[in-house]
Amino acid sequence: MNDNIKRYAIGIVGIIVVTSILSQFHIFKSERAFMFAVLLTVIMVLLNEIQNARKDSESIFLRTIPGLKAVEEAVGRSTEMGRPILYVPGIMDMNEVETVAGVIVLGHVAKMTAQYETDLDVPVARSIVMQAAREACKESYLSQGRPEMFNDDMVHYVTDDQFAYAAGVNGIMQRDKPAACMYMGKFYAESLLFAETGNGIGAIQIAGTASQAQIPFFVTACDYTLMGEEYFAASAYLSKKPELIGGVKAQDTVKLMLIGLVLVALVLRAFFDLNIVPFNIMDWIG
Amino acid sequence: MVLRRYIPILIVGFFGSFTLFGWFINNETVEAFINDDATQWYDIIASFAIFLGALNLLKLQFLKVLKRQSGWQYSVVAIVSFFAVFIIGFFMRGAFIVDIPATDVQETYFTQKSAEEAIVQLKDSGVDATITPAPWGAHIQTEGGLFKWMFDNVFTPLSATMFALLAFYVASASYRAFRARNFEATLLLLAGIIIMIGRVPAGGLISSWMIMYMLVLVLGIIVNTYFRHRQIVFGVVALGLLGVTLLGSSMGWPVDQPSVFYLPDLQEWIYSVPNLAGARAIMIGIGLGIIVTSLRYIFGLEKSYIGDQ
Repeated sequence: MNDNIKRYAIGIVGIIVVTSILSQFHIFKSERAFMFAVLLTVIMVLLNEIQNARKDSESIFLRTIPGLKAVEEAVGRSTEMGRPILYVPGIMDMNEVETVAGVIVLGHVAKMTAQYETDLDVPVARSIVMQAAREACKESYLSQGRPEMFNDDMVHYVTDDQFAYAAGVNGIMQRDKPAACMYMGKFYAESLLFAETGNGIGAIQIAGTASQAQIPFFVTACDYTLMGEEYFAASAYLSKKPELIGGVKAQDTVKLMLIGLVLVALVLRAFFDLNIVPFNIMDWIG
Repeated sequence: MVLRRYIPILIVGFFGSFTLFGWFINNETVEAFINDDATQWYDIIASFAIFLGALNLLKLQFLKVLKRQSGWQYSVVAIVSFFAVFIIGFFMRGAFIVDIPATDVQETYFTQKSAEEAIVQLKDSGVDATITPAPWGAHIQTEGGLFKWMFDNVFTPLSATMFALLAFYVASASYRAFRARNFEATLLLLAGIIIMIGRVPAGGLISSWMIMYMLVLVLGIIVNTYFRHRQIVFGVVALGLLGVTLLGSSMGWPVDQPSVFYLPDLQEWIYSVPNLAGARAIMIGIGLGIIVTSLRYIFGLEKSYIGDQ
């Protein structure tokens, strides 16, 4: 821990020096210097934590996330009931990080469905997502030694339009009665349409999204919900890869640093108002 | 192997870093690439990819009809709709504008024949008019055109129907969420009631003193739950009611004082303090999650998007 603090302290000093030097050049947008320093700090913490995790990932504590533990339970339930699993990777394209995270989790779910020999149905709203999701599923089935179970059409395109997609997916739910429904990606108003229909057919439902406005709907209608950062940690949690676990630790470390920064900024701003310090920290932060 | 694995990682790494660090570079070309070109490239790729999706959709729907799978009738509707929209969009202009030059009057007809009939009728009435076909491309957005008519009268109402279902789903979901099953659910229920009543005009008419009287009664229920002693409960309730009455008399019973018990003020506080604090905490977590996930991609630490598990 002490080594880390020492490394971070030296690193931050270095970052401040580099940023100050770069700010002198016209090519660098000096008004964004603070953001640049923050970005370099995040990169430094991420790389350091990944390096630490590669050496010893066992010592990193990952708290239990019920929603992720429930994924296997949901796959098991579907197997017992002989019904498929419905996986919805959101309604946005691959340029959204949430969709990308949804496709990653799909890869892990596909591994489980390959192990349990359960049907997987992935209706998508974008063609590029369809291709990426197919690749992820195909690789999962291959890695589990079940390539014959993989079928291109388990990932299929419905439509780009939001409510037409909602209608299509709801129709699939009503007809096929999946035992488990998973919603992982970026959602808008259709979130509740999915979740309530899933609730109506008695499916076990797990949702994960970073769409803040949709979290309450998922919390209300689904059995488990991965909120915000939990959703982005899903990949690390399910894969247990050191690089990914290191990323989760880096997130927490940066969060700790941000708390410290907020407190320091608060105190400095108060001192500025009281004329104790001559500079306004808010001008510097921008 | 190299093509499948390393080339995509290199492309993601290069363009990811360029877009990320380009935000700090003071150069018009770089800015133009980040703000416009890169997103336009993506749009172009996505537009071409739609063919993959459309073909997949058609293939599955045809298979469903051929195999007479459950709900195959819906697939027939999907196929017919697909081709109808495709043909009307690409091969039928469907928008012939009859223009009367002397006036601002314009009428759009679906077919050239109906437009010509309208011209003949106008000529019979002594009015000169001309037919202008809507240009290809613009024909799908021409007011009164066949494609636009279909969009406005078939597609939009269908979308609105799905959206309207939300009202019923919100009601059923709220019913489940607002059941006072445990402490957290009760807290949610109370906060929900305060927000709902506090946000409507009638909420402003409810005096804070009435809320205080109600709170005294609630306090009586809580005391009764823990002590189950009539005299203690009576004492607490009586003292509470007396205290509120004395305080109200001394202050002159203002509707919005003390403001902590005035529903519009209370709901505003709930909305802008505890609610906002929670929302911001989630937002910071989401922001960090997005940053770290993106960096993992840029540095090639996460390769799941190319199927590497």
